[in-house]
Amino acid sequence: MKRFLETGNFAITEGAILAGCRFFAGYPITPATELAEAMSLRLPQVGGIYLQAEDECAAMHMCVGAALGGMKAMTATSGPGFILYADPYGWALGCETPMVVLNSGRVGPVSGITGAPGQGEFYLMRYPTQGGNFETICLAPNTAQECMAMTVEAFYLSERFRMPVSVLADQLITDGFEDISVPENEDEMKEMGFRTWPREICRGPEFYPASDALDVPPVVLGHNTGALCSDWTPTEEGYDIEEVEAHHKHAYRLIYKVRNNRDLFSHHYEKKYMGDDPDLVVVSYGSPSRVVNTAVEKARSQGLKVGSLRLINIWPFPDEHFDRQCKYLCVELNWDGQLVREVQRAAPKGSGVHFMGTCGDLPTTPDLIETFEKLLKNEPIRRKGWVLEEW
Amino acid sequence: MEYRSSVITSKYLRSRKIPSTACSGCGLGLNHKIVVQAISELGLDVADVVWGTSIGCAGRQTFATWKGDGFAGTHGRVYAISRGLRVALPPEKKIILTVGDGDAFGIGLLHLIHAARSNADMTVIVNDNLGYQSTGGQYGWTTPQGSHTDSSPYGMFEHNLMSDEMDVLDILKGAGATFLARHVAMDGQRAVETVKKAILNRGFSLIHMPYPCPTNFASRELGSRNQVNIYRWIQERAAPLGEEKENTVWATGIWHDASNSRPEFSEYVHETVEKIRRTGSI
Ligand code: SF4
Repeated sequence: MKRFLETGNFAITEGAILAGCRFFAGYPITPATELAEAMSLRLPQVGGIYLQAEDECAAMHMCVGAALGGMKAMTATSGPGFILYADPYGWALGCETPMVVLNSGRVGPVSGITGAPGQGEFYLMRYPTQGGNFETICLAPNTAQECMAMTVEAFYLSERFRMPVSVLADQLITDGFEDISVPENEDEMKEMGFRTWPREICRGPEFYPASDALDVPPVVLGHNTGALCSDWTPTEEGYDIEEVEAHHKHAYRLIYKVRNNRDLFSHHYEKKYMGDDPDLVVVSYGSPSRVVNTAVEKARSQGLKVGSLRLINIWPFPDEHFDRQCKYLCVELNWDGQLVREVQRAAPKGSGVHFMGTCGDLPTTPDLIETFEKLLKNEPIRRKGWVLEEW
Repeated sequence: MEYRSSVITSKYLRSRKIPSTACSGCGLGLNHKIVVQAISELGLDVADVVWGTSIGCAGRQTFATWKGDGFAGTHGRVYAISRGLRVALPPEKKIILTVGDGDAFGIGLLHLIHAARSNADMTVIVNDNLGYQSTGGQYGWTTPQGSHTDSSPYGMFEHNLMSDEMDVLDILKGAGATFLARHVAMDGQRAVETVKKAILNRGFSLIHMPYPCPTNFASRELGSRNQVNIYRWIQERAAPLGEEKENTVWATGIWHDASNSRPEFSEYVHETVEKIRRTGSI
């Protein structure tokens, strides 16, 4: 095991390499640029290829192309680049091509503030492309070390589910320097809790008909197996077809291969004091969750009955955590409230679901504790002059 | 009705896709035939080629016709997809792309230019039906000036990539393409010889191949769906390079042949990576 004082971008690069990634195409964008730079340095050292693309749309298409040729591929960007993935993301979902996509959130809309963290793409990660009729898997780590593990995990899931899997981070996580431990062999990976699997032999040369079963090798071109993939609704052999029944089969597979196998990733969450009868559950993901965890610890020591639910697997949304009838507070890095909408939907009827948003900077511990106190006393919560009582 | 397939067809194409779903009288089949004929004359096997297409008439009608591996990409992006695929495939595998004019010269032009810039080994056959015909017939970026289409009812009057002394092939030459040519669908064996050269170039090759669309283009511009009329109309406006006449729109033949004159993208990338891996520098 080697230790470094390094950024989340560094950790993600090492995670990708551990997972067997040997192809990265990207386009410079703050705050994911350093990831592309790290890939350009590290990949050639392990025989991998880094390519700079003319835009993000091309970058992800190049990755899908490389993946269709049998390589493990990854791309990374921030919100303004992520929207250019809409086109290839859909294609990769439809062709059932495994690859990994990282989005490091900054402040929007549009170019917004480049060097500050934001969480404006919560729903975009669920619907990264048009057309519907698919599920997506998204993991949201909150430290550099966890970024490494979740990158490995994302590759694992992408291969098992035959689909692009995304990692959602933010500027603080990808740019911030932290203590990072990189395992040097399989045993260390296992010890450190990384997912391990036969990482180099998962791509089959044979062309298999589409199926909702897991562990069916994806379409790989170049072995003359008659493999076909396209942007159209496919028959089971891959031919394009304009037929409702074939479409139902295809869409059903894209949706239910994920829904029926959620146990493969639904364990990715962190709970604090959730077994201690909380009257208020604070829900968060990504970098705000680090402050939330501190604030919840502190509030408990002051006798406030709060608990923390940190989501790592954010899509498909883990409804099962919201069976408790109590108050909920969603802490997010945006002012429009995104996660809160999902919690409102998932929480039992009559639970008070509240929202606390910041943008570009994290909430502070005193701010959070003050909000917890007010909510527990049924007082309205205010922030920056806005009444945000019942979101 | 029984369709007899020729030896070439049964060797290289999937019988399931014959006949194609193209309109009767469509000229796309001529272009398709030219490409398969060239592959056959080069003695290539089904296994030697990965065939890519995009959407529109050219994409839909040629996708999954090749007996071997094939893909249809998103609109305009196959040039980016193929660069990724190129580095993943062994260098001896040919990537042949049959795309449309809207795909290559409209939505995909940026990616096309970068594919040319990088000299990635692929052969792009741009099947030009003079506009967007699968959507009913709107003008494209190489539609002859003055043409009447559903989106240019008064005649196409914009500057485009084939008007005012402009030529899309010049753009691609400037971008670094190592083989560029133009043929119309009726050029027969002349076109086959050109496609063979394009495939043999280890680098980026593109052939612009206008073909007759009797259904949508001809019905608007010529007021007739009679295929003879549109075939004639195109043929009258085509002439071999150097023999252009007053009304020539498409000067046919090899425009630029710098085959194998500079390193091919994927080989160069792989060699460089290998060197870095061994020595730590370039
Ligand atoms: S619309 Fe024109 S180009 Fe398209 S298939 Fe019909 S005839 Fe061919």
